[in-house]
Amino acid sequence: MANYGHTSEAHYEDKFEFPLWKIIQEYAKKHDCSYVDASEAVLSDYVKTIKYDDEEFENKCVEIRHKELEAVSKEDEAKFGPRLKP
Amino acid sequence: MSLDKIANKIVETDVLVVGGGIAGLPCAHKLAERGLNVVMAEKAKSDRSGSAGQGIDHYSGFMPEGMTPTQFKEIWDKMGPGAFFGGADFSPPTRLYRTMLGRKWASDELEKMGVPMKWDDGEYRVIDIKYHGGWKSLRVHWMNVKPIMAKACRKIGVNMMERTMITDLLTDGKRVVGATALNTRTGEFIVIKAKATVMATGAFARLYNPETAQPWKYKFRYHWCPASVSGDSWAMAYRAGAELGNMEQAERGYRFRDDLALSYGNVRGDGLESRRLCWDGTETRRAGSVELARQGMDPFYYSLEHLPEDYHKRIEVAYVDERLLSFKVAEERGFNPKTHRYEMMEHRPNQLNCPPGIVTDDNWKTNLEGLYAIGDTVAGNHNVAACAVTALLVGEHLPNVIGSIPDPKVDEAQVEAQKEVDMLPLKVKDGTEPMELECAIRYAVERYVGSFRSQGKLQEGLRRLSSLRKRFLDELQASNPHFQMRAIEIRNILDLTRLHMKACLERKETRGQFVRLDYPEKDPQYDNLVMNMCLKDGEDIIEWKKLPELDMNYKEERK
Repeated sequence: MANYGHTSEAHYEDKFEFPLWKIIQEYAKKHDCSYVDASEAVLSDYVKTIKYDDEEFENKCVEIRHKELEAVSKEDEAKFGPRLKP
Repeated sequence: MSLDKIANKIVETDVLVVGGGIAGLPCAHKLAERGLNVVMAEKAKSDRSGSAGQGIDHYSGFMPEGMTPTQFKEIWDKMGPGAFFGGADFSPPTRLYRTMLGRKWASDELEKMGVPMKWDDGEYRVIDIKYHGGWKSLRVHWMNVKPIMAKACRKIGVNMMERTMITDLLTDGKRVVGATALNTRTGEFIVIKAKATVMATGAFARLYNPETAQPWKYKFRYHWCPASVSGDSWAMAYRAGAELGNMEQAERGYRFRDDLALSYGNVRGDGLESRRLCWDGTETRRAGSVELARQGMDPFYYSLEHLPEDYHKRIEVAYVDERLLSFKVAEERGFNPKTHRYEMMEHRPNQLNCPPGIVTDDNWKTNLEGLYAIGDTVAGNHNVAACAVTALLVGEHLPNVIGSIPDPKVDEAQVEAQKEVDMLPLKVKDGTEPMELECAIRYAVERYVGSFRSQGKLQEGLRRLSSLRKRFLDELQASNPHFQMRAIEIRNILDLTRLHMKACLERKETRGQFVRLDYPEKDPQYDNLVMNMCLKDGEDIIEWKKLPELDMNYKEERK
């Protein structure tokens, strides 16, 4: 798949907001504090929305990715030849 | 002339710690905890200075306690030095073993300082880095690691000399007896007498050009370590007579264009590896490599598009932990990591870190009496956890030997000579701005060292550097103490750049990331050898040394 779109002008026209950054900025504005202080205040609640303790989910994601990487390594060898030895 | 007439301030202490980073601060704290008088000198303000100023999201190479030398050797034999992070193959193995062994202990000590080591659930959050030899990292919330460490140091009574740049070491024969310093706000010239000095200012990054968004005006990059360190410890230690090692080894690391950044935890995908792509979208594990660049497959890109939504949120948390500024930078560029890709910088040298540094023994003592080095300042083996371990081990060791170190005897003539050097830029009118000379040095490095070295280029580079020094160094001008600091940094940068060029000239082979076009093959005569450099009678002396064997009977004694 070609990558042409990612260095185009549209890159700068999209408006993307990081959800956590938005929360931090809103907290800082509301409490008249620094972004650092706001980050400290909001981070633990945001962390609770993430599946950090779902081992089954994590292991599945890692396993899928690991298999993808193994396939990529094999394709690398076929496309670009053996890896240069250091 | 007496010292009190030369210096604006004289400070006497047991130990001087040079540098207020994540090695210097824990070291100073441990020394004070053990009852010593400690001065910590930091040229900026330790709360937010240096590579860790915005935070860190990982504590690398977390290993369970009790690993034996035999187990260590088994990992080495099976997975190679890469199992122990960068520079491991240039590190004395027993010393490396000690830094690996001490990670859990150092983690506990940092927790006592108030540094959070555990995750929100109260447990260690371990990232299993499968492709990094199998050792693991801790994910940590270290956004405020520097303020926490600085506060702990203040509380325990460390004399925190902020905005104080150490300008050179003072020696009495082969012993370091303290240092001269400059307050970078008031301009005070200070003498610090110390029985022992610990160098902790990190590595050296200001020689190659960073690929920043505006390279014609912006030379200080902010993302990833070491951010913009000028190698002060290395240069001062070298001029005092200490050995530097591996000065030909430049790191080619992951950097991104347009001031975008991924923290370490992001690059590792919080355990889920990012995609790396060639220009045409082909995924490859070799993205960024010289071999693929030579096949015309660059630019290369990092992609997080494949990550599940949950992992995108983890990236955000890592941004907060390591580099809050990244949100602002990315949003202002309209950058959406779910749909856009990070362009990697060209795979070329960008800093001296990991293998290069100050040579020490297995207790982090240099060849000079009274001089130690810790953290990234040390030759061989660096990373976040190694900073903490080396700092704390020296913090434990020094109190045991301080009693046998004689009181420092400072030579007034040496101080006077150094003062003249430090104060010169204030007297210069219509001279050269420090950054102008730095740009010229960096150009010389890019043009005459670069990625692919050869004899002719390196010799010309040394000649250019010598010309720049003769013509411009004494003409550096400073209108205030801040720019005095910049001028003193240039002196250090010049010295270290000269050593880098000479070291590149000396290694006549191609090995790993070190490429000599005129010696394109690896030469086995250099196997297990490291290149040390030392200043003797004004000459740079190079010596090849064999790395020692691992002490298979080594046992770490903990108090």
